[in-house]
Amino acid sequence: MNTFVAIGDTVVDELRAILGDEGVLIGKAARYNRTRVPAPFPVHRWAEYVPDLVVLPRTAEQVSEVVKLANRERIPVVPRAGGTGLNDGALPLKRGIVVDIKRMNQIKEVDLVDRTVTVGPGINMLKLNEELRKHNVMFPDDPASYPCSLVGGRIGTSGWSLIGGRYGHTRDLVISFQIVLPTGEIIEVGDGGGRKIRKSSSGFQLKHLFMGHQGTLGIVTEATLELVPRPEMEFAAFFHYPSYTAAWESTGALAKSGLASLGGVVLFDEYKLRYLRRDDEAYIPRPDHVRAVVATALYGTRDEVEPAARRIMRIGRESGGTYLGDEISSGDWASRHDRYATPLHGRLDTGEVVPMSWHCEDASINYSQLPAVMEKWHAITARYAEKTGILDDWGMFAYTNGAYKPWGDYLTEIDIGIWEQKLSDDNWPDWVACKREIAQVALDHGGSITACHGATREGDAELIPVEMGGGFDVMLKIKAALDPNNIMNPGKYELDRAYGLDEKVFR
Amino acid sequence: MTAPPYDPAADGGLQEQFVEQWRDSAYGCFSSGHKFCREVCPVMQVTRNENHTPTAFHANIVAMEQGNLTVADVADDYVHCTQCGACELRCPNTLFTGDFYRNRTQTVKVVKAMRALAIQSGIEQPNWKRWVEATIDAKSEPVLDVPVSQENVARWSEGLGLPIGGETILFVDCEAAFYRTSVSRSTAQLLQMAGVEFGLMREQWCCGGPAAEMGYTDAARQLADHNVADWRSYGAKRIITLDPHDYISFTEDYVEYFGPDYEFEIVHITELVAELIRDGALTLTQPIERVVTYHDPCRLNKRKGIHASPREILRAIPGLEFRDVDHVTQWSYCSGGGGGLPIEKPEITAEISRRRLARAKELEVDTLVSACVWSERPLAAAGDEQGIDVRDLMELVAESAGLDPRGVHGAAGPQQEVPA
Ligand SMILES: Cc1cc2nc3c(=O)[nH]c(=O)nc-3n(C[C@H](O)[C@H](O)[C@H](O)COP(=O)(O)OP(=O)(O)OC[C@H]3O[C@@H](n4cnc5c(N)ncnc54)[C@H](O)[C@@H]3O)c2cc1C
Ligand code: SF4
Ligand code: SF4
Repeated sequence: MNTFVAIGDTVVDELRAILGDEGVLIGKAARYNRTRVPAPFPVHRWAEYVPDLVVLPRTAEQVSEVVKLANRERIPVVPRAGGTGLNDGALPLKRGIVVDIKRMNQIKEVDLVDRTVTVGPGINMLKLNEELRKHNVMFPDDPASYPCSLVGGRIGTSGWSLIGGRYGHTRDLVISFQIVLPTGEIIEVGDGGGRKIRKSSSGFQLKHLFMGHQGTLGIVTEATLELVPRPEMEFAAFFHYPSYTAAWESTGALAKSGLASLGGVVLFDEYKLRYLRRDDEAYIPRPDHVRAVVATALYGTRDEVEPAARRIMRIGRESGGTYLGDEISSGDWASRHDRYATPLHGRLDTGEVVPMSWHCEDASINYSQLPAVMEKWHAITARYAEKTGILDDWGMFAYTNGAYKPWGDYLTEIDIGIWEQKLSDDNWPDWVACKREIAQVALDHGGSITACHGATREGDAELIPVEMGGGFDVMLKIKAALDPNNIMNPGKYELDRAYGLDEKVFR
Repeated sequence: MTAPPYDPAADGGLQEQFVEQWRDSAYGCFSSGHKFCREVCPVMQVTRNENHTPTAFHANIVAMEQGNLTVADVADDYVHCTQCGACELRCPNTLFTGDFYRNRTQTVKVVKAMRALAIQSGIEQPNWKRWVEATIDAKSEPVLDVPVSQENVARWSEGLGLPIGGETILFVDCEAAFYRTSVSRSTAQLLQMAGVEFGLMREQWCCGGPAAEMGYTDAARQLADHNVADWRSYGAKRIITLDPHDYISFTEDYVEYFGPDYEFEIVHITELVAELIRDGALTLTQPIERVVTYHDPCRLNKRKGIHASPREILRAIPGLEFRDVDHVTQWSYCSGGGGGLPIEKPEITAEISRRRLARAKELEVDTLVSACVWSERPLAAAGDEQGIDVRDLMELVAESAGLDPRGVHGAAGPQQEVPA
């Protein structure tokens, strides 16, 4: 059942009147290139998800007019920021209009007194920080996708930052924002109060509701962000261990150190080491007794970081770690954004090198459960790798997940290479089943399916009602109330159920 | 807007062969698709249209393989590239695993190949077409309305007494020969002053680089054949380039055309002049009272890794206050002057240059120094708007060496002044 109508010429004319000719793209290349995100994707089914057209707005008013028109005409609307999301959030499942916000990338106000910067949602963090550098401040949202994701997508996914232990994650760093609701009204949401208020207890906490919804509740058109002083000092330390267990125990000890300057702790398992050793001998030392690695990084004033660094070195060593040296520590931490998604590392069972796409599972798992989840995930991956012949286990990371108190739970990532060229209708269900089993393990261990990417893909999405429990019914009610015609990114998160639609949501 | 589906019978299998050739390399990007390259791309920074990203340039080939797109659907998108090379450098596939797998993301080559396919498929950009036709006609590029012709190609050097032929040849780019003659005169006089023996070509034709960049492979080859024959006719061994685009043509395109028989040593002027200063063959004595920053020309910095010699030269000029921006930060800078962009999309070039000058302005300099004549026209136009002088490195070096090279520089329209 499809409740949506095809887009006619009059709608295109109306859109051109709103956005100008150059703000409306109907060419095939424009539409095909806004279908995909980097998550593995059955290439042969590309054509099924191509949007009808793309708009490139410059103002909130334009976005509002587009959404009103779409709501009137019952046309799906999908916001797209950087298009780097790893769970297909920006993929137009039901076609319709893609609202690509990259032209909304202005820096509108830098307030050095109340410590905020107000931007359009199409700005990238690296670019923003280039501009902020001259004021000696920064916006410290630092995902591995720091060079490519955009503020709008960070809000749309409620992202996680590599240095969130010290500075907080996207939700802690976005103070308030302006959002166009599915019916076209433009509102401001924050904790309460004015744009620059960090803490309030007036009314409902709407900021959280309108973050991480993957564009199903509206389109962010402006955001007011936190400014922090640029750190005077950064210190990274990498340790190696003879076993995963030793590294896991050390991770716990480091994370609990209570040091305010601790940006985060990262645990690399044996599979990850094997993967990283594939090309770069210098990076992970070869000896067999190097079985796991833990990385930490500190940020802050010199007065904080110098003594904290001594403490971290002591904890690392006392908990069984061997320091990997300054060069590897600072060098590898500096390249922390670049070590993902390297298709060239793809290997078949036979050792043959083939280009593989990166799939990243990103559950939130409590510290106590990490070893058990690790074992189960590798076993599931091995089973499906054998069955399909197109998967490759690229190992696991566990990253501290809490803001400011980085000890209780971990963003737990298993990276899987997939030979995307070989995805077919035959093996796609196996891949989905693999993902679903991985997600189920996270739930079985009291975790969440996703720490930051969202869970709108098949294999995850159907477990969201399970994870959310009674909360899922509340989600359905909110969705139906705010988006009466189901135009905002329809088909995601099983939210179609709010409209009595129970069709298969994805592929 | 929508082209009919691809039919191999209609184009003699051209597109099919193209896809076959580029598919695997396109998958290297498609499988990552993370777009680390997006924000360094100078064109994308201006248009903010994902069609113009390196990611799209690769993904389109996969879509062509799947039968989803044809060259007609994408030809215009590939006009939006200056071939600066930033995206290749910023690509983690090149940065991190490239050496090991001998892999390099080859966006520039892909863009050139797609442009060539478009032309072979009968899809031409009107201004490029005119440009290349005029180049073939006059053997030099129609750099605006300057009288471009073989009689005039060496006119910039009047009064300098330069010989023809010899072991070392100074190749003077079309823009420098006809338009910004102060650069060619400065360069020639510096070389003379340092005692470098060199001559000019009997008949210098355009290097063919611009035609190659636009996809006119036959025209490019025709020009290259002539130049190499000219060099060989008097036994040239070493070619000095004063423009980075020529340096790319002679060190990359020509090597591909002529294979192992290509015998010439190609030396770029900034490398040579830095050496001459270092060795004491050139002494810079006249103080230049300017506050400058340096624009890394894309083809030197991003494509050839030449960023040290221009800085070394600037630091040797007395009186100069040099406010540097490191060459990695400059990966995302550009003038917009390359890859044929100013010929087809002048408004994008102008905006790229405007942004470059705005960055210079933040440094509170009075002069932006470049080392690429092709960048200097759009940069100078933006400089005029923002009150910053744009000069070529060789112009400043000549001045500091006490020379008075004359010739023409600046952004203003066609220049026909003949050097005194
Ligand atoms: C190499 C790599 C590393 C990564 N590392 C991390 C990491 O460390 N931490 C992390 O959190 N993520 C990471 N990601 C995932 C991804 O970068 C994040 O999910 C990011 O927040 C997505 O931002 P984007 O701008 O690309 O958004 P998109 O992918 O364009 O969109 C993401 C979602 O937000 C919605 N959306 C976009 N714009 C708006 C808007 N204006 N209003 C409302 N909704 C909107 C979209 O519809 C979609 O559902 C990584 C991705 C890659 C490729
Ligand atoms: S060119 Fe490189 S950086 Fe850009 S999307 Fe492709 S793989 Fe990623
Ligand atoms: S070569 Fe330069 S202009 Fe062309 S796509 Fe790459 S970064 Fe953009």
